[in-house]
Amino acid sequence: MRHRLILNNITHTFEDGGIQRTVLNNLNLQVSEGELVAVMGPSGSGKSTFLSIAGALLDPKGGVVLLDGESISGKNKQELSDIRLHKIGFIFQSANLIPYLKVEEQLTLVAKLGNMNKRKAAERIRELLDMLGLNHRRSAYPDKLSGGERQRVAIARALMNDPAVLLADEPTASLDASRGMDVVRMLAEEARELGKSAVMVTHDERVLPLCDRVLYLENGGLIERK
Amino acid sequence: MYLAIREMRFVKVRYSLISIIMLLVAFLVLFVTGLARGLAYDNAASIQNMDATHFIMEKDSNHRFTRSQISEQVLLQASSIVGEDDVQPLGVKMTTMTAEGKIGKLDVTLLGINPEGWLMPKLTEGAAITATGTGQVLVDRKLKDSGIGLGTVLIDQASGLKWTVSGFVNHESFSHSPAVFLNEHDWQQLQLTTITRTSSATKWTDSTYNAVAVKANTHQKEQLTAVLADAEIVTKADAVSAIPGYKEEQGSLWMMIIFLFIISSFVLAVFFYVITIQKSSQFGILKAIGTRTGYLVRSVALQVLLLSAGSLVVSMLLIQVTESILPSGMPFLLQSSTIALTSSAFVIMSLAGSLLSVWKVTKIEALDAIGRTAA
Repeated sequence: MRHRLILNNITHTFEDGGIQRTVLNNLNLQVSEGELVAVMGPSGSGKSTFLSIAGALLDPKGGVVLLDGESISGKNKQELSDIRLHKIGFIFQSANLIPYLKVEEQLTLVAKLGNMNKRKAAERIRELLDMLGLNHRRSAYPDKLSGGERQRVAIARALMNDPAVLLADEPTASLDASRGMDVVRMLAEEARELGKSAVMVTHDERVLPLCDRVLYLENGGLIERK
Repeated sequence: MYLAIREMRFVKVRYSLISIIMLLVAFLVLFVTGLARGLAYDNAASIQNMDATHFIMEKDSNHRFTRSQISEQVLLQASSIVGEDDVQPLGVKMTTMTAEGKIGKLDVTLLGINPEGWLMPKLTEGAAITATGTGQVLVDRKLKDSGIGLGTVLIDQASGLKWTVSGFVNHESFSHSPAVFLNEHDWQQLQLTTITRTSSATKWTDSTYNAVAVKANTHQKEQLTAVLADAEIVTKADAVSAIPGYKEEQGSLWMMIIFLFIISSFVLAVFFYVITIQKSSQFGILKAIGTRTGYLVRSVALQVLLLSAGSLVVSMLLIQVTESILPSGMPFLLQSSTIALTSSAFVIMSLAGSLLSVWKVTKIEALDAIGRTAA
């Protein structure tokens, strides 16, 4: 089984009022193809830091992040931008769509940034919107969409460039229980079918049964609890 | 590109409001520029119309035609250097006249020229003056408004000399006063009366002028400077700006224009800065999903460019309309070269105004996108 996302001995510290605070301490994680891993933990346990490091937004003080076996340390800003564009799909809290783009334009933008061929892009957008049941909303602006629809568009946007890794930051935070379940179920299905390694940071215990593994962030490391 | 245009399409009201402000500023810039150019031309038209590169004036005359005195000898010396065809004598005298049979006085500038030379203006009405005739003058069309017609006799208040209007010319003025052209003979006549009246000790056997207009290249100019010790070679631009009132008038108008440029730049700077701050979490998201900073910077710059160029185009149309309804007494002159220069300066200033926002965009961290609840 291939591990598309590997974090090796990640350590990260913050300077906080003159005191060094270790947020992540030799954290290790391997996520295999098709797997959805949930990461739980109280606030302040370092979930955001963990996700930022896995998503090439933050350079860890120690350790290596491997995406499809390739290390992302020592890259410059532009290279990291390109890695995020092509290798990582982000799904944020409350979707964070661009307000002035219609649903299909949200995806076209990602295709354009990645210099995707126009015909190929149009085809892929249709496929993704079909798959996520958004075809009838393709020319709606985000403010006309329901919370669940918005989060589905965010998933489609994350999948647009066929990334290796999906990273979700509390995707159910602004949704009610059943919508939240739908979104996570969809995330799990897409990860499994398309062979992505998916990591979801969440507080929502109701969605845990849909995940392949549940890990807890404690004392700077990830612990599995049964 | 993609983002910039779609955003402007989506938040139409916001961008229309700012483009209306830009439109008004651009209109004002073009209008004041046209007025400045128009006044400049109206002020110094006669000198600007002259096909000369330089004027030879007396030293210490501060580049002023009216203060300078040049003798026939200088004229001859100059002809020997640049050639007879490229040298023309010029007399300039501001005076007050009355028209026979009319009440009221007129301020005019007398210009003594050689009617066969290249300083002779183009006649629009009546008969031209000749080198040999006496007592005949050409006057600027503007004097028609004061009741001057063909055949009207003008009396110079200072010398008492009388001239008959034989023809009209267009756009000829000096220091905003209408020009009156006389031939060399009449000019010398005028000089003689003035000199006898001032009872100067100097004997003036030669003809005198105020300046000599020349067409000279750089090399010839240097030669002239070397040979004519008592004279100064003044460029046409310097001579024009030394005309009484010219610099002061242009100075205040140019200050307005420069301020308008600065204002437009600041208006755009503030608008885009505020919008950029509002959108900073959005820029964070875009950066997080892999948008390069350069793309976002280009997007902001493109919006500024579209706004300023769009407002300029509309304001140019408005200027065309305005120009056609302006009263003829209002000096307004806007050549396409001036429009091009002003427009590019406007666009450049607008882009300078967007620098603050560009700087802000580059400072936004993609990291901020994580752990945020609102878009």
